Amino acid sequence: MHTTAWLIPLLPLFGAALIGLLGRKIGKTAVAVIGVGVVALAFCFALRAFFLAGSAPDHRLESLSFTWMSTGNLSVPMGLVFDPLSSLMALVVTGIGALIHLYSVGYMWEEEGFARYFAYLNLFIFFMLCLVLGNSLPLLFVGWEGVGLCSYLLIGYYFETDYAPAAGLKAFLTNRVGDLGVIIGMMALFAHFNTLTIAELLTKVGHLSPEVGFGVLSFATLMLFVGACGKSAQIPLYIWLPDAMAGPTPVSALIHAATMVTAGIFMVCRLAPLFQLAPITLNVIAWVGGLTALFAATIGLVQRDIKKVLAYSTVSQLGYMVMALGAGGFAAGFFHVFTHAWFKALLFLGAGSVIMAMHHEQDLFKMGGLRSKLPITFWTMLLATLAIMGFPGFSGFFSKDEILYLAYLKHPALWVIGVAGACCTSFYMWRLMALTFWGEPRDHHAYEHAHESPWTMTLPLVVLAAGSVVVGYLGIPEAFGGHFSIGRFLEPSLAYGQLHVHEGHHGGPAILLACVSTILGLGFGLFGFLSYRSGTALAESRAARFPLLHRILLNKYYVDEGIERVILSPVRGLGRLLWQVGDVIIVDGIGVNLPAALARLAGDLLALFQTGRVRNYTLGMVLGALAILWIFFK
Amino acid sequence: MFLIFALITLLGALAMFRSRNLIVAGLCLVLCFLGVAGLFLLLANPVAAALQIIVYSGAIVVLVLFVIMLLNSHEEEAAAQPHRIQRWLGALAAAVLGAGACKAVLSSPGLVRIGQESPARVMDLQQVGTSLFQQHVVAFEAAGLLLLAAMVAAVALVKKEL
Amino acid sequence: MNSALLQGSLQGYILVALLLFVIGLATVLIRRSLLVQFMGIELMLNAANVALLAFARYRGGDVQGTVFYLFIIAVAACEAAVGLALVVALYRHRHTTDSDSADALRR
Repeated sequence: MHTTAWLIPLLPLFGAALIGLLGRKIGKTAVAVIGVGVVALAFCFALRAFFLAGSAPDHRLESLSFTWMSTGNLSVPMGLVFDPLSSLMALVVTGIGALIHLYSVGYMWEEEGFARYFAYLNLFIFFMLCLVLGNSLPLLFVGWEGVGLCSYLLIGYYFETDYAPAAGLKAFLTNRVGDLGVIIGMMALFAHFNTLTIAELLTKVGHLSPEVGFGVLSFATLMLFVGACGKSAQIPLYIWLPDAMAGPTPVSALIHAATMVTAGIFMVCRLAPLFQLAPITLNVIAWVGGLTALFAATIGLVQRDIKKVLAYSTVSQLGYMVMALGAGGFAAGFFHVFTHAWFKALLFLGAGSVIMAMHHEQDLFKMGGLRSKLPITFWTMLLATLAIMGFPGFSGFFSKDEILYLAYLKHPALWVIGVAGACCTSFYMWRLMALTFWGEPRDHHAYEHAHESPWTMTLPLVVLAAGSVVVGYLGIPEAFGGHFSIGRFLEPSLAYGQLHVHEGHHGGPAILLACVSTILGLGFGLFGFLSYRSGTALAESRAARFPLLHRILLNKYYVDEGIERVILSPVRGLGRLLWQVGDVIIVDGIGVNLPAALARLAGDLLALFQTGRVRNYTLGMVLGALAILWIFFK
Repeated sequence: MFLIFALITLLGALAMFRSRNLIVAGLCLVLCFLGVAGLFLLLANPVAAALQIIVYSGAIVVLVLFVIMLLNSHEEEAAAQPHRIQRWLGALAAAVLGAGACKAVLSSPGLVRIGQESPARVMDLQQVGTSLFQQHVVAFEAAGLLLLAAMVAAVALVKKEL
Repeated sequence: MNSALLQGSLQGYILVALLLFVIGLATVLIRRSLLVQFMGIELMLNAANVALLAFARYRGGDVQGTVFYLFIIAVAACEAAVGLALVVALYRHRHTTDSDSADALRR
């Protein structure tokens, strides 16, 4: 167990090193085999660890290796932990990761930096596994930063363009804000509990009762949540995720939909007992999540870029997950992470397939009628759309319904927001489907040359589609006669070290709520489908009727511009001031150049005596001798 | 006698100092050295007088003249820029030093006292040789080494490729 | 006293040595040709010789004076050899024997 456990993260690291160092020498086929192979192998080991952990006492295995750092009263062990939460997440990361690696082989085959791409992607898997499996907050944080780095590298993959490096930088800087929160939160926890090992921390937390008022727990959890906001793209730090679509499409699927962006939710789940004790934080989390879910969904209604629609959809879905966490439904939130990973990865990969077929055209208004040209892509994306809109029986139905139910228990207004968001989701997803696959082709040239993708791309689509349909049955909510088995499965993790398990409140009109939300969702989906099935004319006339609303949505509520004006401009001004006055005048001028000028002046004066002529020196010597004689014989 | 040789010496030196032509200067130097050799004779030291004539006015001045001929630079070049300060300060320093020293010599009672006891004894070569090879044999060897080193250095400096 | 000076007392020799030294020094300070400066150095060495042998004579014909005179000659010969070699080397580079032109240290 010990060795194979460490192989899970180290295999992708090994792959990354191998490809990164030798990628250009060993050829594309070898790169593809290594890149996909190490992740697939890691998946096999993760599967083994999953079952071993499941049969272990407490459903928990820990693989310690050595003390990472030991200074003062801080001692951090380096170790991996396999409990239901982390091993399930590791399966998602390696499993979906392997599929997307396979897809990337087809998608990226023509690209210049094929090896570079796979090196980054393998490195990402390594860091993600560190984040997921790490047994201490520092190790989690290493993974946290590492995936941020890989995200930055992969968003800026097309570095010869203007927008991709800028988007990468934006993602990196925005995440820095959140990372600062994580660091502060970690320090607060260490100051209070004297440990950074997750298991110890949760054990110490176990006997505490929920905090009244705003104390250190609320502060620490709030700071950690700031980090989660950055990573999981919540208001107000969501702005980087839509821009992150500048990266290759498989990257958007793996990092910016399925795995990395859920890291914030994963962290909150990891520390669930801690968050349980901070009701203020939970309230903040719930409302931030709910607002993000609705806010992002409304922006998604009018976007024309297929990947942007999906990006706002991701932000919106992450909002649901966060809302679930805030409502105390950690299991429900993670369940949605799990189901979302399948269908959103599938949507992105399908979008990638469409984009490739259309020769890198991403504008929805130029597509259309691709149903017959891309049958596999069409059918799999159809399944994913049904899953995300919450069509009864599909995975999104179960997970989203559980979240909405919890939101209702938290506060009815949250339920209303959630349902409104769900309606928007249905609308924009069917709009996307209708514009892409129905109607008349609007770009005939591209349409003529469109063709189905190679098997390396369609196979992952099919597997993910199957997953999108079935994974929901892992957690049928109790309202529908299920046992929400995933919640029971995750309980050892989410309630680790807890003396008294928090029983969820039940009651309320569960079935009624589900019916209302589902019917509304279906209605809006149909509305969106019918509006766009025959073309964009209807949409344009409607946009003309509400010009102001349309413009605000199209410009994403002017959030980027506002941030530019309120934060970035003053900071830039301050920077310029410090540069011109502080650096150029004070440091360079008075601090550096002035002493240099004085030294040079002194040197110039002395150089007058340095004539280089031996006679002058002799004269100096004689005069000196005369002076000495004068002193002795006067 | 002393006056004649002293005048030969000083006038030779002055003529060398004033002379523009390097060869004339070299010949004046010979004259000066001959005067010094005369002074040595008056000091009852024929050994030193002979060495003075052989080594100084013979070997060294010949060497200097040889180099002058070799370099073909008979005349001093005109100065690229006048060095008045150097010139006047140099002259002043020399004059002050000379005047001060003359005053010190003329007013020194110690010199008069030493000069009074004068048992004139002629220096002979045997005495010199004995002293040289008994008391100063190490210094003698060191001088030999120095000469060797100087010879090697001169060859190394002047030879174009070794 | 003056007559004693003119007929060759110790003071007379020392005086000659001093004047010889001053003339040599003036030559080195004022003349620019390296060869003439070199001759000035020889003059100064000779001034030292004169003083040395004069003192030796008035100490009862001391042998040490002559021995040191020999050593001074040896050193002067070395100095002549190396110094003239330097002059020749300089002339090869600059085609001049002007000591002022050898001021590369300044730059």
